[in-house]
Amino acid sequence: MMMASDIRPEPTPKARERLLDVKGLTIEIETRNGPATIVDGIDLHVDKGETLGIVGESGCGKSLTMLSMMRLLPNKIRVTKGEANFGGRDLQKMSNADLRKVRGGEVGFIFQDPMTSLNPVMRIGQQLAEPLIYHRGMTKAEARKRAGELLKLVGIPGAEDRLDAYPHELSGGMRQRVMIAIGLACNPQLLIADEPTTALDVTIQAQIVDLVKELRDKLGMSVVWITHDLALIAGLVDRINVLYAGTVVEDAPVDALFDNPSHPYTQGLLASIPKLTDERSTRLSSIGGTPPEPGRRPKGCPFAPRCPLAEQVCHERVPSLEGVGQAGAHRVACFVAQRKLEAA
Amino acid sequence: MSVVPMTNNTVEIEPPVSLWRDAWHRLRRNRLAVFGLAVVVILAFTAVFGPYLTPYDFLSQDLNSRNMAPSLTHFFGTDDLGRDVFSRVIYGTRTAFLVAIVVTFIAVLIGVTLGALAGFFGGWLDRIVMWLTDMTMSIPNLLLVVVINASLKTPIASWMESRYLATLNPFYRETIWVDFLLVFGSMALISWPPYARLVRAQVLSIRSRPYITAAQALGLTNRIILMRYVVPNALGPLIVAVSAGLGTAMVLESAFSFLGVGVNPPTPSWGNMISDGLRVWQHYPHLLAAPAAVLGLASVAFSFLGDGLNDALNPRGAK
Ligand SMILES: Nc1ncnc2c1ncn2[C@@H]1O[C@H](COP(=O)(O)OP(=O)(O)OP(=O)(O)O)[C@@H](O)[C@H]1O
Ligand code: SF4
Ligand SMILES: [Mg+2]
Repeated sequence: MMMASDIRPEPTPKARERLLDVKGLTIEIETRNGPATIVDGIDLHVDKGETLGIVGESGCGKSLTMLSMMRLLPNKIRVTKGEANFGGRDLQKMSNADLRKVRGGEVGFIFQDPMTSLNPVMRIGQQLAEPLIYHRGMTKAEARKRAGELLKLVGIPGAEDRLDAYPHELSGGMRQRVMIAIGLACNPQLLIADEPTTALDVTIQAQIVDLVKELRDKLGMSVVWITHDLALIAGLVDRINVLYAGTVVEDAPVDALFDNPSHPYTQGLLASIPKLTDERSTRLSSIGGTPPEPGRRPKGCPFAPRCPLAEQVCHERVPSLEGVGQAGAHRVACFVAQRKLEAA
Repeated sequence: MSVVPMTNNTVEIEPPVSLWRDAWHRLRRNRLAVFGLAVVVILAFTAVFGPYLTPYDFLSQDLNSRNMAPSLTHFFGTDDLGRDVFSRVIYGTRTAFLVAIVVTFIAVLIGVTLGALAGFFGGWLDRIVMWLTDMTMSIPNLLLVVVINASLKTPIASWMESRYLATLNPFYRETIWVDFLLVFGSMALISWPPYARLVRAQVLSIRSRPYITAAQALGLTNRIILMRYVVPNALGPLIVAVSAGLGTAMVLESAFSFLGVGVNPPTPSWGNMISDGLRVWQHYPHLLAAPAAVLGLASVAFSFLGDGLNDALNPRGAK
């Protein structure tokens, strides 16, 4: 089973084309003691038609990375370095007008909290219609008709009758479906789902995952799915990036990651899966300690203070993400893991 | 993010009624608020229809029955020109509402616009607006109004006079609306800062809510986000402030009348009736008591209603 990752075919190798390519993105926050790094030179990429899972503890910078790509960061937090190319154009350098066309039009977002991510004073039909009118130039009547279709698409019973409902009149699961419908409204090439199910109960979580899977296959888009919960997305994603303290520590096809987790942090993450599913805790109970706070990043490997395998070199130098599998499809940022795999 | 979740409950909850209907239910359970609402409704009705129902014309003088005490023929007595005080108080209700509504409307318009822009865009725009707000609030209200009136009334009046002489257009003869314009204008000019502050604070808090980020992620323009996402969500506290502000504006008009810069006679206003009544209150207390009591009632009613709305619209603050 060691080489399961290498047997799994890459999704149609020739047609692989980068849709999203983030290079060296660094995010800093303004604090009382000066700027502190939250995300440190992160590299990410998503190919056309690919589904990427991003996992990591709470606070490791998953949401901020996604928001920063689209230049949606809150005040006091900004990108200081790096680029985010989407379809060959750098989103960081694009004009505001062009960026607005990408937002919603080509990249759809589904946010973490369905309770607070919908406008409480606007009917959901109108919230759905807004991007259609703006990006697709539809008339109000056309947009309303399409909004009804979208609600049907995401499986809301009595879709058309729900258009005039306010968000608080819907349950959490229904609101999350509405959010998905809004994210999909303009047939985006990329859907970014930021922990879209954490606020929901377990059966509804699974329904939402199935729904996105079905819609992805139907509409042929790429998906980035952010989560704490590796088990939840195992059947959905092609590839997983494990984030720790604002860097990717392991990048692997999903089967390779489960069969052969190489980074000590990933190993701890997998070991804690049963615990994660029965409580909503986001702490990794099998790994002691907590992630470094922004501004107090260790000099060497960011995981070193918690790592059971840490050596002298780990405290001095930062390991880079290097290929350990065939064709470099499985990469890990750990001195010890790299040495082990080289030796093997 | 500094976000107050609407509910911590992750299980399915379906509130049966809408936010506004909910608020209405809470309002109805608040006795003072119901009292305030009832008084406001009655006064508003009086303002609209009262002048057609008064027993006497508010201008008609009866020099044979001057300064009469309240009686069955004149509920609130008569004044020094023999005019029926009850009819004048009723007509004054219309003046009070006119002043309150127009002044509050202008003040809210200025305050909401400046506050929303400052809160939403921040930066230098915010600094300019805040500076303007502080400036306006630091000038003593009455001083500003007196200065405006003193410096503008005479030039405008003489300009009108000259226009009339040049054109003989009767429009220029009518000076009442100039008075109103000056009173309304100067009152609005000192009344907008609290609205600007309130709306700015609201917008600052709303701006960091997830649905704003979600709207930006949809590529909507700032204008749409401001008009359709930010402002409507800031409306609750604004309604409360407006309700209280209407009462304040009525009191303010009286203060101005007392200083002789309010609505001018012969148009009856509670303010100029109080200021006339004050001169003779030892002899004819009813001339002061009647308009003062109605003004007090109106101001208390608006403030009760405002407090009630505040509680009703903030479910977490109310019991
Ligand atoms: N608005 C903000 N102000 C200050 N700090 C912030 C803000 N948003 C995020 N941070 C900090 O940035 C870091 C990364 O946050 P981010 O929201 O990206 O984490 P996350 O990986 O998405 O976590 P979660 O799984 O809890 O959503 C955290 O340490 C957090 O404290
Ligand atoms: S580089 Fe060293 S400290 Fe970092 S994860 Fe690997 S072994 Fe642990
Ligand atoms: Mg997050």
